[in-house]
Amino acid sequence: MDALNRRRFLGGLGVVTGAALSGTLAGCGSSTSISADPEELVLWYWNRSVSPVLLDQAAQEIPGTDKRLRADAIGGGYDNKLRTSLAGGAYIPDIAAINSNCALYFPSEDQFIDLNEFGAADLAADYFEWKWNLGTTPTGRFCFWPMDTGPTGFYYRADIFADAGLPDDPESVGAAITDWDGWIELGQELRANADVAIINTAGMVFNQFLNASPERYFDRDDNPLYEADGSAVRDAWDTAIRASEAGITARLPVANEQNAAWSSGRTAGHIEAVWWANVLGDTAPDTAGSWRVAPQPVRPGNSGGSFLTIPRTCKDPEAAYAFITWLTTPEHQAETYNEVQLFPSAPESFTSGTIASELGFFGEQDPLEFFAEAALQVPTTFVSTYEAQAGAFATELANVEAGLKDPERAWDDAVSQTNRNLTKRGVI
Amino acid sequence: MAAADTRVRPEPGVAPVPVVRRRSAIGRFWPQYLAVSPFYLLFLVFGLFPIAFSIFLSFQDWDGIAPMRFVGLAQYQFLLSDPRFWNAVGNTFLIWFMSTIPMLFLALVLAFLLHQNIRFKGFYRVAYFLPNVTSMVAMAIVFGSIFSDSFGIVNSALTAIGLDQVPWLSSEWGIKVTISAMVIWRFTGYNAIIYLAGLQAIPTELYDAAKVDGANTWRIFSSITVPMLRPVILFTVITSTVGGLGLFTEPQVLLGDNGGVGEAGMTIVLYQYNQAFTQFDFGYGSAIAWALFIIASVFAIINWRLIRERDTPRGGRKKGASA
Repeated sequence: MDALNRRRFLGGLGVVTGAALSGTLAGCGSSTSISADPEELVLWYWNRSVSPVLLDQAAQEIPGTDKRLRADAIGGGYDNKLRTSLAGGAYIPDIAAINSNCALYFPSEDQFIDLNEFGAADLAADYFEWKWNLGTTPTGRFCFWPMDTGPTGFYYRADIFADAGLPDDPESVGAAITDWDGWIELGQELRANADVAIINTAGMVFNQFLNASPERYFDRDDNPLYEADGSAVRDAWDTAIRASEAGITARLPVANEQNAAWSSGRTAGHIEAVWWANVLGDTAPDTAGSWRVAPQPVRPGNSGGSFLTIPRTCKDPEAAYAFITWLTTPEHQAETYNEVQLFPSAPESFTSGTIASELGFFGEQDPLEFFAEAALQVPTTFVSTYEAQAGAFATELANVEAGLKDPERAWDDAVSQTNRNLTKRGVI
Repeated sequence: MAAADTRVRPEPGVAPVPVVRRRSAIGRFWPQYLAVSPFYLLFLVFGLFPIAFSIFLSFQDWDGIAPMRFVGLAQYQFLLSDPRFWNAVGNTFLIWFMSTIPMLFLALVLAFLLHQNIRFKGFYRVAYFLPNVTSMVAMAIVFGSIFSDSFGIVNSALTAIGLDQVPWLSSEWGIKVTISAMVIWRFTGYNAIIYLAGLQAIPTELYDAAKVDGANTWRIFSSITVPMLRPVILFTVITSTVGGLGLFTEPQVLLGDNGGVGEAGMTIVLYQYNQAFTQFDFGYGSAIAWALFIIASVFAIINWRLIRERDTPRGGRKKGASA
């Protein structure tokens, strides 16, 4: 014990504490980027949001620059982690992937570089216009670069449709459901002939109606639109209520049950983006081959899809810009689709010849051909920061479907709750 | 707790601390202070600062990045008239009642059974405690499938014996019962082990004397076991109150951030999490946290009064001698 007496122990403790404190203080002072290495740019992304092969290539050298890429896969609570770094002004990545909720960052758009400074506008024609538009802030700054997209379609079980005596090939199904009334009628026939639901919840109808609508909750100046008669939100709400009242929804609000309903055939349809086939293939592999996808009523929408952004603290914005444009060239997006099934944001990806269809899940139908066509018809729309404040509509719709509330009262409650939230946040 | 009562007197052999020199305590004891400082420094940074900051935040409107905007008491005004908040308060208390009462009763019965001379005692103790250390996520998946409306075991069993199915996860009461069942499953064993420790501290002489006097089992249970266990029961009630008011994980993993249909599983802490970390409304989240603090304080005072009042009249116990 005499080797470590009290004096030595305390002395050592002092040194360690001092070093830790000075390290912390230095960290607070200077390190805005998460990596101290000047030759290295750091990308934050989440699993399966970027092609690992391309990341490996960029880790050696980002083409066209003298920098290397360090890619950090960030786990759950992605937005919270990114926002914490931005708010603290420290340990900020040089490039960040952002999910379809990029509008959340509009009030803090000054945190990100306007990519038009690097001539992004010249490349705009290579990408879907509606997707490009989603990454543009209301003040016209283009801060969010299009990565993947999520064009939607009406998925259905061809075998169950055939057994129920309904049309079962995508052309006839699509022809029968060009509008929502047709879709509800088809659902009623399915219910009458096979006692099967056409979709799981009214909320899904509501969401996908809005995802396919050129108008959503707010206009470009964040003025609420939902309250007006004949607004898109009201139309979506009424359509969802009609579907629920027609008895064609399975009324399963819990995710577990929804998966079970699709895999057991209690529900024979869904309206969702291209990526849903992978999710379903993983949860219900036995149903592969019996699904088809047909054009949904009116027009296809967009659900999901992500962006890339360069925080203003980036060490070398030019190199970062070189990286994101290189990562998302039509050829590389085709490659990414082949590897991790991210649906491209550049129409040319489909004609470059390297993209490969994965047949099987949709029988003989080529899903790539279907969704590439759908992606061209997605309307241009505006997603506001404040849509997060309008969650009451979906909640109240679920209440109606569960029989807890009368539809008109639920609508009034949703409107007044949303208005209250917006007043509190100083929006209206 | 009988042992605790004797400790009111100073222990023999401990001399009063002599006052030697007139130096400040910090000057004299700095090595000791330095040795205990890591905890306090960490508490200052990760405990006290966030608490103080959340008071400050509750007077601001802040989305986490953009500049804060001072709004005075607006967050609290909104809170008082927010039906979703009051729904969360109601849910929290309902679930707390529905889980705590059966849970503590079951735990007492289990402890009583474990206290008997049975074989494989150690095995049962471990088995009852096991739910408490099981992964919450795994548990939510299991409960989610057991109580699944159309595919669950519970509803299959109900149909098998000719009863109607219950929409466990899509009705207001079903959701509350399911969450309560999760809480009961998880904490019954934990409380049973605490009761068992309390039972083992009761001197066997009391039971022997009672038997000599001809008392029956019920008399022994109600006049010896329960009164002697009372401090332990109060302890479990207090810990269950703290746990019940802070209920978060069970509804979150079972139903997601919105508390399920009709927000029937939305508890106060889940609502706070929902507002702060999914709506990025940190000012309002902080206001909810402080409202919860006030509610918890009220309960702490009630608990404290209950303990004091029950302690004073009986058996010459001094005020505040126990606890």
